[in-house]
Amino acid sequence: MLRYTALTLLRMVVTFFVIVTLVFFATRLSGNPIDFVIGQGITKEDRVLLIRYYGLDGSVWTQYLSYLRAFTDGQFGLSFLERRPVAEIVAERIWPSTQLLLTSIALTMAVSIPAGILAAIYRKGWVGSAVMTVAFLGYAVPNFVLATFMVLVFSYVLNWLPVVGNGTARHFIMPTLALSAVLIAALTRFTRNAMLDVLEQDYMRTARAKGLPERLVILKHGLRNASITVLSVLGLQVAALAAAGSVVVESIFAWPGIGDMLVRAALTRDYPVLQFGVLTVAIAVITINTAVDLAYAWADPRLRQTGRA
Amino acid sequence: MNRLLTATALTALLVAPAFATDLTVAAANVSSYLDPGRDHSNVGSQFYFNTFDPLIHKDYSTAEAKWMPGLATGWKLIDDTTMELTLRQGVTFQNGEAMTADDVVFSLNRMYQATFAPYQVRSRDRLDNFSGAEKVDEYTVRIKTKRAEPLWETLLNLQQVFIIPEDYTKGLTGDPKVAEDSDYEAFSLAPVGTGPYTVSEFVPGQKIVWTRFDGFWGDKAPLDTVTVTRVPEIASRLTALKTGEVDMITNVAPDQLALIESEPGMHAVGSATALFHVMIMNMNHPKLKDARIRQAMSLAIDRDALNEALWLGKAVVPSTHTMEEFGALYMPELQTFGYDPEKAKALLAEAGYDGFEITFDTAPGYYTNGLLAAQAIQEMWAAVGIKGRINVDEKWSGNSPDMMARNWSNPMYFADPFGSFGVMWAPGGPSESEGRFNTDEAYKASWDRFRYSSDIETRRAAYAELMDRIQKDPPVLPLYRPYESWAMRTGVTWVPQAGHIPYVLDFRAGSITVE
Repeated sequence: MLRYTALTLLRMVVTFFVIVTLVFFATRLSGNPIDFVIGQGITKEDRVLLIRYYGLDGSVWTQYLSYLRAFTDGQFGLSFLERRPVAEIVAERIWPSTQLLLTSIALTMAVSIPAGILAAIYRKGWVGSAVMTVAFLGYAVPNFVLATFMVLVFSYVLNWLPVVGNGTARHFIMPTLALSAVLIAALTRFTRNAMLDVLEQDYMRTARAKGLPERLVILKHGLRNASITVLSVLGLQVAALAAAGSVVVESIFAWPGIGDMLVRAALTRDYPVLQFGVLTVAIAVITINTAVDLAYAWADPRLRQTGRA
Repeated sequence: MNRLLTATALTALLVAPAFATDLTVAAANVSSYLDPGRDHSNVGSQFYFNTFDPLIHKDYSTAEAKWMPGLATGWKLIDDTTMELTLRQGVTFQNGEAMTADDVVFSLNRMYQATFAPYQVRSRDRLDNFSGAEKVDEYTVRIKTKRAEPLWETLLNLQQVFIIPEDYTKGLTGDPKVAEDSDYEAFSLAPVGTGPYTVSEFVPGQKIVWTRFDGFWGDKAPLDTVTVTRVPEIASRLTALKTGEVDMITNVAPDQLALIESEPGMHAVGSATALFHVMIMNMNHPKLKDARIRQAMSLAIDRDALNEALWLGKAVVPSTHTMEEFGALYMPELQTFGYDPEKAKALLAEAGYDGFEITFDTAPGYYTNGLLAAQAIQEMWAAVGIKGRINVDEKWSGNSPDMMARNWSNPMYFADPFGSFGVMWAPGGPSESEGRFNTDEAYKASWDRFRYSSDIETRRAAYAELMDRIQKDPPVLPLYRPYESWAMRTGVTWVPQAGHIPYVLDFRAGSITVE
């Protein structure tokens, strides 16, 4: 387990450094921030003045070095627009995004794992068909359509739920549902299919023959073996969500999250915010992937012994 | 004992205001920083007037220039280039510091003699004539200009020269005796002024909270707190207004007005904003050097049709680059721009236009109806035989030699043609400097008379000359003044006032009532 953990962590560090460098060059390729930040209607001499003010006058290498240096002071540079440390801006945004991510994962797991198991067990009955129909619908409706629809019904018409921001628990209901719908749909289908594979296995018959209660057979022998598939799908989903997959939903509910910040930083070419915002997301994705890798090891004892995923 | 309690309770009821008056606003955008000096954005101008004062105020309820005492109670010209101002006594900043001549000199000279790059940029296009301010005594200052200044009051009423506290600003970072660049940057995150509302919380790009400043020198603010939150989606802003989460919303699109009027419990107000959406054309593009081609591009556009189709007829289509707010310099009698497809066709034939493609650049969502207008313009061009192609890109292309035509806006930064046409189209100004507009000696001479003459008739005549030049060799076509709306719940009474620059959220005494 130790060796496996060490290898996983090392891969994480290397990936991170590659991303740090890629992010720097990718943002520079997207255009000069002066054309976006203050671009409209300034004279040539003012342009020169502002390029110097924003520290964009040095060569790419000087800028790359000062970018790397910005890691060391813990501020990660100053935002072009706000002129305050990027660390402060990201810190403001990270918790609301994380909260939404956590509620969405919790809801997804709470709904789709039982639903998937039920759909597998009763695959020929109406329960199985009903679950799969709902899952298909959930998969087909994009989250912004669902979000707008919910806003219309539950806020505009019925006035049951608030739409702006993340002030109270009630504010979480619609954004969480909007974000989870697709995840629930996907995870339910994968859970069902994984369970179906497992249910056919010989060891399931053996477990039943031993006289174990059906509940134990399904949850211990069945779900535990299906969990590798479930975990990898969930890991991918959560990583996608963390990688600014919630941009549209954040915008609709005026949610002060990372996705909204990234989009604005990208549109205005606020390099420092964009760079460290992307890095934050990258770290989140890497962390999630690492957590999933470690969870594999928990789910499958063979991985612990060979040290390979 | 009971009687005493009852009496106390009754007294408390009589003395205390019935309810705290709070207002919540959902805005499409919230500033990334709050410094009236370096900002001239449409997003920013929403927020300064509640917190800061200029030396000279005006009657904001009217488009006419009726000057009123602000932080200065009197002002008089000492000679052609020197103004002496008597400052109001007993004014305190929201942090408790008393305002003196030092603060005024500091605020003015941070712009007039700017060392901080964003101030230098902002001051060059409008405050270039001001050489500096100096203290005479605690409550008297003198301001010097390089040449005689016809627009003294206008340029002292400007957002960029709102007054800020000296000691507070200098003390924000580093040496408390020196104004470093970082002081100004820190100020823009924790702004302090003399106005009726203190900025008590500011999350850049997200939220502003104002609290009534009880030490305000003028009529006290009518609201206890105002919370402005960014809600980028119009559907969400409207819903929040409907559910009662917010009392007021900004940036309501014209096609939502019918919905608002049909809903009980809310209403909308609006006005044609003091800003032109314009089409700019590159005089120096090799294929557009012939003025007749640019004239044809302009004459082919039926701006009234754009207004009807995109703005439900509520926008204002100008005959020339002029606005009612310019007062004596408002010149609607000039016919600089018009719609004449036949003449456009004739001009194209004369110029030997061979059907080459003309690009029109637009950002996807920057201007309300910007992309739709571009598509309509493409159709209108096609009707006279111009082959147009729309190029959608976020990037500002106004400084690119390849730009042929694109949309842009010319806001009214202050109520004078110098504050609108003048800022953008001055000799050596942004348009010329970006390489898409040329001026010559004759243009400069007309410009000079327009900018510096103290005689209104001379200024008007010079402006007419400039417009004539713009017509003969057009770099720009003002399309319309867009119609901008705000919506609020019943019980909130507020209207945009004609004496302000565009988008100002004025919540001072007399400007808003909340029941």
